[in-house]
Amino acid sequence: MENNEYDVVIVGSGIAGSIVAKLLTNAGKKVLLLEAGLQAGIAMDPEEAYKTYQGYLNTFYNASAKVPNSPYPNIKDAPSIDVLDIEVIKKNVPSTKGYLVQMGPIPFASDCARTPGGTTLHWLGTTLRMLPNDFKMKTTYGVGADWPFPYESLRPYYEMAENEIGVSGEVGDQHYPIKGEDIFGEDYVFPMRGIPTSYLDGVMTETIMKNNEVVLNDKTYELYCISTPQGRNSIPNPDYNITGVVWDTASKKLVQTRADGKDSYQPVGSNWDPYTGQRCEGNASCVPICPVQAKYNALKTLKKCDMSNLTIRTQSVASKLLINDTSKWISGVEYKTYKNGNSYEYETQVAKGTIYVLAASAIENAKLLLASGAANSSDQVGRNLMDHMTLLSWGLTKEPIYPYRGPGSTTNIPTFRDGDFRKEHAAWISPLDNWGWSWPVYSPGSDVNTAIVSGMFGKKLRAEMERVITRQFLVHFECEQIADPDNRVTIDPEYKDQIGNYRPVIHYKATEYMLKAFEAAKTVSDQLFKQCDIQDFTYYNPVTNPDYVTYKGKGYRFDGAGHIVGTHRMGANKEDSVVDADMRTWDHENLFLVGCGNMPTLGTSNPTLTMAAITFKAAEAILKQLEQ
Amino acid sequence: MINASSNVKLFLEISAFLTGFSETELKATGMLETYYNTILANTDGNDIDYFFQNVSDILSAPERTDATIEQAIAMQLIPDSCYSGLAKNIIALWYTGNWVGTVVSAASYIQGLMWEAGHTHPPGAKQPGYGSWANPPLSIVKQQN
Repeated sequence: MENNEYDVVIVGSGIAGSIVAKLLTNAGKKVLLLEAGLQAGIAMDPEEAYKTYQGYLNTFYNASAKVPNSPYPNIKDAPSIDVLDIEVIKKNVPSTKGYLVQMGPIPFASDCARTPGGTTLHWLGTTLRMLPNDFKMKTTYGVGADWPFPYESLRPYYEMAENEIGVSGEVGDQHYPIKGEDIFGEDYVFPMRGIPTSYLDGVMTETIMKNNEVVLNDKTYELYCISTPQGRNSIPNPDYNITGVVWDTASKKLVQTRADGKDSYQPVGSNWDPYTGQRCEGNASCVPICPVQAKYNALKTLKKCDMSNLTIRTQSVASKLLINDTSKWISGVEYKTYKNGNSYEYETQVAKGTIYVLAASAIENAKLLLASGAANSSDQVGRNLMDHMTLLSWGLTKEPIYPYRGPGSTTNIPTFRDGDFRKEHAAWISPLDNWGWSWPVYSPGSDVNTAIVSGMFGKKLRAEMERVITRQFLVHFECEQIADPDNRVTIDPEYKDQIGNYRPVIHYKATEYMLKAFEAAKTVSDQLFKQCDIQDFTYYNPVTNPDYVTYKGKGYRFDGAGHIVGTHRMGANKEDSVVDADMRTWDHENLFLVGCGNMPTLGTSNPTLTMAAITFKAAEAILKQLEQ
Repeated sequence: MINASSNVKLFLEISAFLTGFSETELKATGMLETYYNTILANTDGNDIDYFFQNVSDILSAPERTDATIEQAIAMQLIPDSCYSGLAKNIIALWYTGNWVGTVVSAASYIQGLMWEAGHTHPPGAKQPGYGSWANPPLSIVKQQN
């Protein structure tokens, strides 16, 4: 083994990279962290952190389209995927408008943020766990893949992730479709009490429960609503006593530390002032930016590193892994440090460590491996790209429900998260949305414009706006995309960014398993709207919706959920997976991959929590390997 | 020529009729001067002068009532053929903070009246406080009390 300056080199400062950096530096390991985004974004000094963040906020205020990446710098030397670049793909003509080269036939519909702290800067913050059957889809339902370990073995790591993120929620509310499953274990509580559910949730839950039976493929199902656990600050739960996670050298395990007494949890405030962001303040802008940082972001984790063991190099874009010809060990990461975000000037350097960890996002990890000819003996690198293909349904309620208040979603319908139907079509979760029709049709701005164009003005206009805005109901159906080898990230020397790094080339389609789910979800949506007396305004536009698909003669529009997973799947065999159960690449003993790319299935929960949980597991394996 | 300072007053007065928000509510946004300057900077000078002349005539017509003023606005200001659509742009400006689809400033976004009309607040600003979203909006609760 080479004598390296660093124990570990990590690529990416998002939640996965930050968790690994925190655990390793606090265990006394020397870590080099490479981050592609701008220097300003990493600031740990309160004044600088505040200045940068206020800059993001101001950019958000001034953005015409307030999409997930709107507050954050999109720079030419480390471009970000942006949903504004999604367009209808013409037959045999790839869409190259944005950073992604979209080969089609339909465009991949999600983005992520390539900036210090990663996509946790704009994530919604929903922290549902995956369900036990999600980990054995192949065995239980004959579709997708099995994880190399069952749900139960991940439970302690879920607890670590919930501690790190700071989850607010009520365990007692969490009822899932398969009765009798022990999801949380006895006496477990989340660090903080549930975030209050919205007024809209209360009205709609009552309305839904009055007449909650729906029929799907001749089977009757009961719709029901539960509160959603979230990674934003609420009132600490006095019964929670976990204080953190430490590496135990003797047992070679990560161990959760606990307080003797209860009442021990302290919410983590903003990065510039610990007293700011102690509670969610109801800004109703979790996506794209929480102004007070009551919502978790990865910079909070990074801040807890032992800084004496951490070296950070920003504006440094990993471009290639160097591989030792005989041992197949990784011998370095080549990276390009650019001068400013849009310059053509850069310096190429090599970072060396004992172990290497890629934490650059599902798409960037896959791209970097492909560019290096690394970890791909299974031919699975870049394949199995997945997202929640999301159907939106929107309508007007009879009475006002007062949306556009509170976090994006505080209640969900879990009825179709699991069940035998998964043999035939995808499962889904249905969050009730608190932000009106902003997602599907850019309300309320679009409503104002429609009314003005029609000639409305004055008191009539104001009354009309009151009528429309206060009654907007949105529910969405996040359908679990199942792995397909042809949905993939590839690279092509024809498509590079301005400092010579590959742009991701995407091939994407909706399989019949997904189309059947759209048909099923729409059937349920139609019954739900009818039973709740909601005037349906859902409209799928065959011409302008880029992800418009048809099944049995009917058309559907789906949106991305920003849940990008699967591109370097974990598995039990090196023949059909990229990493093992410790997230070590089968092909290179000193190369670990972390992030959503490891997930063989997506389940029906937003993936960040699960990804954080498996990252704790990976960090444990890394520490074990370092101390061998 | 009408002098500039008197037009601010006219602008406020006609904006109240155009938006359905009172002059006090409009002033409380703090955006009056900014918006007045925005329309001056982005509208053809002739259109502006004729627009304010027309506004002045409408507002000072003898025996005027709110109804006659509204009727005059509908006939003389609202049609797209009048003053290059200035009246509609003014309404959109107050409601959304945008001038023809572009955000005027961070403050204009925050002060958009569409949020007020919908009994809520602009996302990312004027936050209502922990847990308040579990109840009907304060503006509604106040009406009921």
